[in-house]
Amino acid sequence: MKNFTLPSEELMGSGHLGCQGCGGALAMRYALKAAGDNTIVVIPACCWTIIAGPFPYTSLKVPVLHTAFETAAVAASGVRAALDIQGNTETTVLAWAGDGGTFDIGLQSLSGAAERNENIIYICYDNEAYMNTGIQRSGATPYLAWTTTTPEKTPKAEPKKDIMAIMIAHRIPYAATATIAHPDDFIRKVQKAKSIYGTKFLHVLAPCPPGWKAPSEWAVKLSRLAVQTRVFPLYEVEDGERYILNEPKEDRALPVSEYLKLQGRFSHLTEKDIQAIQDLIDKRWQRLMRQVRESS
Amino acid sequence: MTPTLTGTKKVVTGNHAVSYGAMLARVQVISAYPITPQTQIVELLSEMCANGTLRAKFIKVESEHSAMAALIGAASAGARAFTATSAHGLALMHEMLHWAAGARLPIVMADVNRAMGPPWSVWTDQNDSLSQRDVGWMQVYCESNQEVLDTVIQAYKVAEKVLMPAMLVLDAFVLSHTAEQIEIPNQTLVDQYLPPYQPVYKLDVNDPRSFGALAPPDVYMELRYKMHQAMEEALTEWAKADEEYYELFGRRYGLIEPYRADDADLILVTSGTVTSTAREVIDELRAEGRRVGLLKIRVLRPFPAQLVREALADAQKVAVIDRNISFGMGGIFAQEIKSALYNTHDRPPIFGFVAGLGGRDITPKVIQEIIEYTESHDEPEDLIWVGVKR
Amino acid sequence: MKKPIVFTSEREMPPMAVSLADMGHNRTGSWRYLRPVYREKIAPCKNACPVGNDIPRILSLVSEGRYEDAWRLFRETSPLPGVCGRVCYHPCESFCNRKNFDEALSIASLERFVADACFDLEDRIPERPKRSEKIAIVGSGPAGLTCAYFLAKDGYAVTVFEAASQPGGMLRLGIPPYRLPREVLDREIELIARWGVEFRTNTKIGQDISIEKLWEQHDAVFIATGAHRGRALNIPGEELAIQGLEFLKAVNVGKTIALGKQVLIIGGGNTAMDCARTALRLGAQPVVVYRRTRDEMPAIAEEIEEAEHEGVQFEFLAAPVALRRLNGKLEVQCIRMQLGEPDASGRRRPVPIPGSDFIMRADAVLKAVGEEPELSFLSEHVETSEGIVIERAHGILERAGIFIGGDAQTGPSTVAQAMRSGKETAQAIKSFLRGERKPKPKKLEEALRVNFSYFVHQPRVPMPHMPVAERITNFSETKRAISSERARAEAQRCFSCGVCNSCDNCWVFCPDAAITRIDGTYEVNYDFCKGCGVCAEECPRNVISLVEEEL
Ligand SMILES: Cc1cc2nc3c(=O)[nH]c(=O)nc-3n(C[C@H](O)[C@H](O)[C@H](O)COP(=O)(O)OP(=O)(O)OC[C@H]3O[C@@H](n4cnc5c(N)ncnc54)[C@H](O)[C@@H]3O)c2cc1C
Ligand SMILES: Cc1ncc(C[n+]2csc(CCOP(=O)(O)OP(=O)(O)O)c2C)c(N)n1
Ligand code: SF4
Ligand code: SF4
Ligand code: SF4
Ligand SMILES: [Mg+2]
Repeated sequence: MKNFTLPSEELMGSGHLGCQGCGGALAMRYALKAAGDNTIVVIPACCWTIIAGPFPYTSLKVPVLHTAFETAAVAASGVRAALDIQGNTETTVLAWAGDGGTFDIGLQSLSGAAERNENIIYICYDNEAYMNTGIQRSGATPYLAWTTTTPEKTPKAEPKKDIMAIMIAHRIPYAATATIAHPDDFIRKVQKAKSIYGTKFLHVLAPCPPGWKAPSEWAVKLSRLAVQTRVFPLYEVEDGERYILNEPKEDRALPVSEYLKLQGRFSHLTEKDIQAIQDLIDKRWQRLMRQVRESS
Repeated sequence: MTPTLTGTKKVVTGNHAVSYGAMLARVQVISAYPITPQTQIVELLSEMCANGTLRAKFIKVESEHSAMAALIGAASAGARAFTATSAHGLALMHEMLHWAAGARLPIVMADVNRAMGPPWSVWTDQNDSLSQRDVGWMQVYCESNQEVLDTVIQAYKVAEKVLMPAMLVLDAFVLSHTAEQIEIPNQTLVDQYLPPYQPVYKLDVNDPRSFGALAPPDVYMELRYKMHQAMEEALTEWAKADEEYYELFGRRYGLIEPYRADDADLILVTSGTVTSTAREVIDELRAEGRRVGLLKIRVLRPFPAQLVREALADAQKVAVIDRNISFGMGGIFAQEIKSALYNTHDRPPIFGFVAGLGGRDITPKVIQEIIEYTESHDEPEDLIWVGVKR
Repeated sequence: MKKPIVFTSEREMPPMAVSLADMGHNRTGSWRYLRPVYREKIAPCKNACPVGNDIPRILSLVSEGRYEDAWRLFRETSPLPGVCGRVCYHPCESFCNRKNFDEALSIASLERFVADACFDLEDRIPERPKRSEKIAIVGSGPAGLTCAYFLAKDGYAVTVFEAASQPGGMLRLGIPPYRLPREVLDREIELIARWGVEFRTNTKIGQDISIEKLWEQHDAVFIATGAHRGRALNIPGEELAIQGLEFLKAVNVGKTIALGKQVLIIGGGNTAMDCARTALRLGAQPVVVYRRTRDEMPAIAEEIEEAEHEGVQFEFLAAPVALRRLNGKLEVQCIRMQLGEPDASGRRRPVPIPGSDFIMRADAVLKAVGEEPELSFLSEHVETSEGIVIERAHGILERAGIFIGGDAQTGPSTVAQAMRSGKETAQAIKSFLRGERKPKPKKLEEALRVNFSYFVHQPRVPMPHMPVAERITNFSETKRAISSERARAEAQRCFSCGVCNSCDNCWVFCPDAAITRIDGTYEVNYDFCKGCGVCAEECPRNVISLVEEEL
């Protein structure tokens, strides 16, 4: 009795350099299963620079272009253009960037690509900090989280940037969230993205056990909890207007504390802090619900 | 061999000469961002793409940094890639210039030499391109609109041979916006000269490989050694490419061009459009019987040190005109030449002149003053500011 | 295993940093300090099942509609699925992991369903070498039947000696047919007999044949005579009361008993409940008199509920102190009790309230305050003859080749416990006959960590019952069968604790693609597994263990 229907093709090889329980590695595994072997991956500076393996090796069975930190979307645009002009419109070009490379330094080039509606899939695997360089805050780091640049005494004072809203505002044909705890949903979304022309954006929550100070075996569980607590709802937006909610479907969510308490990066939180986070999440959820309602 | 297929004559600006060069080179992916005085290059290219004269993808990016990144993607996927920029645009590209070179991508770019701000300036000097001297790009300084066009085509020939990117440089306005009659070479001949780009390694789903992965210390240095080897090889390849071009099109430029320098006591060294002015001054002085000559530096990277040594071997004095300044040191061409000659015997004294920054005219009179100053001084000076109101 | 690439010269290198090989040389297995191992575990239901029915596997078969396979799997561990599906108190369900999620699996209903669905099926009896050893089993209750079944399966010549006229023990004599229809019992005994078990009914050991003789004629003897002697009340007038068990036996063998209208049943156990419900069916208005409250009643909750449902009355905190006959009626003098300190069983001890005596009147009084084994035939004969010393090691008289089990050994227990005893004794007899030591039971790790995320709430399928009004007029079965659809739906609720059902989760979630999947089985590639533990955590059913890596 299968719980999931994952394509069996394995395009991410073993021996890669992801940490134990790396959510980003698992995300790549799913993404490539969905995208298939007719795919070229563009990777800017991020943990995946390392995970993919050093010269002269590669852990992926598809072509990989390593590129500068802020250039994932545009380097992918270049690859796309080159393929197109050579008459190859079939190959999928997949930009694969971290949250730093997406929310922060790469936002400009991503915005450019989205505005031009480049025919690429852009996947941001979001581990909520600059992990490659040792857990520094990024625009994706959640409110009140610890990082090495937001120490416990002054945890991150700002809420996480709403990258989905930014991408949706570009009115790209497809934007969606996904997690490693929902492989079927993830794969369906990549495949859907593949079938659409234009810029497709996937925001994937990819827990980082060392960076989140959580045991490696909880990588998937944390993703699942993020959804169940509405910290990270799974939804899709077509053409910047049609909102579709995938998960969680339950009328009542788990309290956010269920998610926070498993992670060392939140261990300094007080009851009041947790309530503040809960309020933030409730508000965002209500907005999402409104958007889903209004667009249906 | 005399050309059998003739080109067409056309009056075009330096900028448009770049565009025609790119068109004839059949570039496949263009990505650029507007900046004065480069903008006309890509405007014409956009039009060519639009009307089908050029079958290329033009990615209208949101910055020069992205322009170069896009070309890195495109070239990695096997396309012939082109861009043009200037000053701040070039500076913004800096990181990606390293990337293109390190990735061994034969991208060609035109840089319209423009002074860097602040204060804002749109006029010419070489500080923008020279700031990128060490990124691993070939740099070719052009003197005329014809040379500009021809250099675009030659640059691809060499770049694709040695797998290093190339930047051709033309002066703002003096060249970029000045119209001259040039020959637009015949496309069939250009195609014969420059066949399609066929990289050994490219992003290819049938031969999946990664490009640009982390290189540990035990391999990094070898890769850098190979880049330098490629640059060395490029010296020969430029000469060959130039010769082959001459055979097909009847024009050649050399890596350097000595002008009436054979028996010269004083050799003036120039680059870019100053060279044309200097030619006239030399002709006048020669008419007066003075033993002065000229050396044009066309290819700055790879630096043709041996050729420069030979060209300057018999000179009594050398005067270098730099339209650039390395603050705290002096003109950059002068430094290059000095270091090329340092290990030779009987090297001539070298006078370094900095002139024409931010588009100030380098008139025949200025050049004459430079020659006279050199002639009248025995002790060489590293940095002589020309025309500064003090 | 792939080797790393070593460049000895720059000339061997490509111009740029282009990959030439995959990461296969990089054995990330060396990072691991915890090793995931596929180690199936025993489901708590199975662990709690005295006969060790392989519940998760059986339910998985049921869920696929493979009822025959399910039935055959039952018969590997138990000869009485039809009986157990009805009367076993299903400790399996009390330990079912699913009760921590929504409700326990309805295992008993499914067992009954499978047995009913396969009522006409027979065991496939293979050709097997006949063994020369002869074994006598005294008593044909669940202990004796089970022992006989497992010995006969192994080719031993088994004879079951039964004092009653038909085999079945308490299943026939004690448990009323409204809970266990006799055709079910008959069928399962018949199937046991098919294996070559000989039944000698109407043969009481100690009376018709001496235990010594039996022992002389057989290579091993199993005493499974149950616990049939009713306990005494030890109050004046006791002889006026009928032993509840004797009453049940009489009714169950078809005797007509006239009790009258008002019937008092003394006691709060299962026998008391069956007495009350049987009396009800005979037209009486039974009242159960019990010394403590409902909460302390030893009868299992389901039985009490059924009794209540059917209209049995209860008089709690009351104890009889004397019985007398008055004007053709019985007068029971009772005393009111209150609950004091807990006793050894943990239940609060009933303490009489002085001067609180009261009288209850009845046409008949049934006493059902427990039974005990009657083993006089043993002590008289075995212990004295030929100086054989009976050694009660774990209750089994091993050295002598005489074994004892079931209620006869433990006192009143349950059907399943008696079966366990019968099964274990069969094993002990085999070891004894082969001169081997009894094999030590393997201690299996229980599957207790279920990942609930992979399951959706689904209520337990209820067991349909006959309407009460209809029930109390006859002795036909009160519980009804569940439909095939419901059975499958219910079986699908099973988590399959500790048993890999090829759900793929481990393979799906490995961030290192270090699990290979071949035809529904899985293997960890230890060359690459980093020991993150995700597979173990995400296995819904606790199949994967993380063991410390030896460094
Ligand atoms: C009324 C009642 C209801 C019960 N209901 C349940 C229930 O719903 N679920 C449950 O799990 N348990 C129930 N039990 C308990 C269960 O029936 C017993 O624990 C179980 O039957 C014991 O099995 P056994 O094989 O050890 O003995 P028994 O089943 O008691 O069988 C012993 C057999 O040995 C025979 N025998 C005795 N002495 C001799 C002799 N000298 N020679 C030859 N044969 C002899 C007896 O006639 C009897 O047939 C109930 C008990 C009673 C009394
Ligand atoms: C221009 C530039 N600035 C800084 C860096 C250093 N750097 C490399 S990766 C990285 C963080 C990447 O963070 P993110 O995109 O979230 O990916 P992660 O490492 O968390 O997977 C940084 C700061 C860089 N490579 N380039
Ligand atoms: S869920 Fe199934 S396997 Fe697990 S304890 Fe319950 S019945 Fe047994
Ligand atoms: S998920 Fe993969 S890497 Fe992690 S312990 Fe299991 S087999 Fe090993
Ligand atoms: S995760 Fe599923 S497939 Fe893997 S061991 Fe557990 S039950 Fe079997
Ligand atoms: Mg990150």
